[in-house]
Amino acid sequence: MLAAPWVCRSCVRSLRRIGFSQQFLRRASTDSVKLPPALLERARFLTAEHDQLTAQLATNFDEKIAKRAGEVHRIADAFKKFEHAKASLQELEGLLKSEDAEMRELAQEDLEATNEQLLESSRNLSVALTPKHPFADMPCLIEVVPGPGGTEGRFFADSVFKMYQAYCVNKGFRVKVVQYLAADSTGEKGGDGETALQEAVLEVMEEGAYAHFRGEAGMHRVQRVPATEKSGRTHTSAVAVWVLPSFAENATASDGDWDNPESDFYIDPAEVKSEKMRASGAGGQHVNKTESAIRLTHIPTGITVSMQDSRSQHTNRADAWRLLRSRIAQKRREAREEAARALRSSVLSSAQLTRGDKIRTYNYGQDRCTDHRAGLDVHNLPDVLRGGDTLGRVIDAVHTWLTEKDIQALLADEEAAAAAANAPAKGKKGK
Amino acid sequence: MPRLPPSLFWKVRQQISPFAPLLLPVCRTLDSTANELRWIKQHVNSTPSLVPQKLRIWQACLKRERGMPLQYILGTQPFGPLEILCRPGVLIPRPETESLIYHLSSLITPSELPLKILDLCTGTGCIPFLLSSLLSPARTQITGVDISPSAISLSYQNLNHNISLSHLPSSALESTQFTQSDIFDPNSLQSLRYQPEELDILVSNPPYISPHGFNTTTERSVRLYEPRLALVPEVDPPTQYDCNPEDVFYARLLEIVQELRPKRVLFEVGDLEQALRVVEMVLREKGLKEYKTVEIWRDEPAVGGSEMKTIDGRTIKVKGQGNGRGVFLCRV
Repeated sequence: MLAAPWVCRSCVRSLRRIGFSQQFLRRASTDSVKLPPALLERARFLTAEHDQLTAQLATNFDEKIAKRAGEVHRIADAFKKFEHAKASLQELEGLLKSEDAEMRELAQEDLEATNEQLLESSRNLSVALTPKHPFADMPCLIEVVPGPGGTEGRFFADSVFKMYQAYCVNKGFRVKVVQYLAADSTGEKGGDGETALQEAVLEVMEEGAYAHFRGEAGMHRVQRVPATEKSGRTHTSAVAVWVLPSFAENATASDGDWDNPESDFYIDPAEVKSEKMRASGAGGQHVNKTESAIRLTHIPTGITVSMQDSRSQHTNRADAWRLLRSRIAQKRREAREEAARALRSSVLSSAQLTRGDKIRTYNYGQDRCTDHRAGLDVHNLPDVLRGGDTLGRVIDAVHTWLTEKDIQALLADEEAAAAAANAPAKGKKGK
Repeated sequence: MPRLPPSLFWKVRQQISPFAPLLLPVCRTLDSTANELRWIKQHVNSTPSLVPQKLRIWQACLKRERGMPLQYILGTQPFGPLEILCRPGVLIPRPETESLIYHLSSLITPSELPLKILDLCTGTGCIPFLLSSLLSPARTQITGVDISPSAISLSYQNLNHNISLSHLPSSALESTQFTQSDIFDPNSLQSLRYQPEELDILVSNPPYISPHGFNTTTERSVRLYEPRLALVPEVDPPTQYDCNPEDVFYARLLEIVQELRPKRVLFEVGDLEQALRVVEMVLREKGLKEYKTVEIWRDEPAVGGSEMKTIDGRTIKVKGQGNGRGVFLCRV
């Protein structure tokens, strides 16, 4: 039934014609799961290793071996399924050539299902082979900072922040606004009730949020006519989004192990200078100050975090420490990735997300949102900014793209290692 | 205080909000003005009312312009993990007190639980609540004493408020007691029924500003809006104690210490000179010889190192950074 009481018949017909046709949609390709030989070789090798390890475990239990077996179990499982699907496909192809017409028909019927199975198992295999990001299981902090320039960037930063907030609400993620510093100046107001944002931090308290949002880090570019613009010119400005790993609120010893000097999150308290930004003077009962700002400086790296969102110094200090830990962990991780990349060929440099890269464009005039890495254009920009399904599609596409890049990086590592060792593919896992 | 340039007023109006110039004379800096305005807005947004929001924000800014402390306008002050209700007539908890209490709680090992805590001149009750929540709310028994009936009623409200926010367990209702009495009254302590040496911690943040200091060194918002009773020690009739007028409470508190002999004692003081005078009083008193540890704590006792000061031939440790803020006695 149509919601409208009456619609012109020719309009309905024309709607049906264009309606839901897919001609304007472009999707990042995901179907081309042709597994490269090197990857298969590696899978075979790991499966052999897994079988050997399980045989060892049957006789005597060793914690180290059990751990390694657990690591490769996923790959071995996926590889066995893949092999199985491949074998049955070959069998079916043999049947197709048989003389019996009935048999051929049956085989034809089964062929499609088996093909699908093969496709799925190969995709599973490639996912299983992809190195898991060490922070993947963690909650995350999304930090939105306007780029240099006028108030337009600050207005759009507010939109980006609200977009992620709404997206998390739509997805049912628990979120908390850690910091939201805005300034509403007198005359100027952005469109859609935007306020000029200075800095905002959103915490997504869901496990695995880091893996979900990791592709969002980078420069987000906006092209639009600002609400403050009088002569109707389109402006381009940028907003930076950082995605930092964080800890669950009630972190257990295993994942929130920041007292362990081995951990990326470890900070020696002696290396941090803590300042309260409070005026000097008599203090105590003589004065009644409301300043609760805390500034932490990590002396070796020079990273500074200041927090003044809450009236409670206690809360500000806890939040500042959390942000500092996350920033430092991210920095350490980036440094390590950089080192790994130097070892690898330079082909993959585009896969690395560094801070200066422009990753996405929001074009208001064309009602378009483009992700430059996944090569995806989506229209219906208002839905993107509302954090709707359209944004979900963009995030998913980026995720797929990242996974593909990770696999390529892994292969490059394997090849480099193979070339170096001049031996069967036996590269180091991970970086 | 240096005069604020008119350009700053113009700047906060442009950059923050048309309400901001009202707050600037009290807040003095741009950042602090922006923060206070944000907190006022958050408060107005979170409390529904029939009055339009903008009008309420404006009214709050006008009150603040006249010097009313922000804590009285918003009705609360965070104190450690707790939220303390504030009302005119009762002193607002200070961040210096907070850091003293944090340091005190860090000195106590879990093996010493359960604890009995007595807070004299308790006001909002913030000190015993924070101590108990930092140590173990289930295994501390706290008592607060204040002369002002409004302070006693507010401290009970604070207990219920923090239980409702689940900052304190509901078992705290049984283990907490507030009593209205004058600590200068010799019979006042009888009603508490503490045996000597029974008490583990005695804390006090008594009035410590001299009448002259009240007129010259206090901030305008403190002088005009906070209770003089909680700031300036004025005992009626003038007492027999041989000390400066601003130190009379410490003289009386030390008498109480001799009577109850708690394990640890912490007093908040106004500055280093006052801390030294209190330490002198402690060293002079024969009945306090068993308190082997006598220390002076600064605003941030946990930060930085410590220095030594010699008083009456005895070296006293002065811990931390900032102004002299506390005197700590321990006999274990």
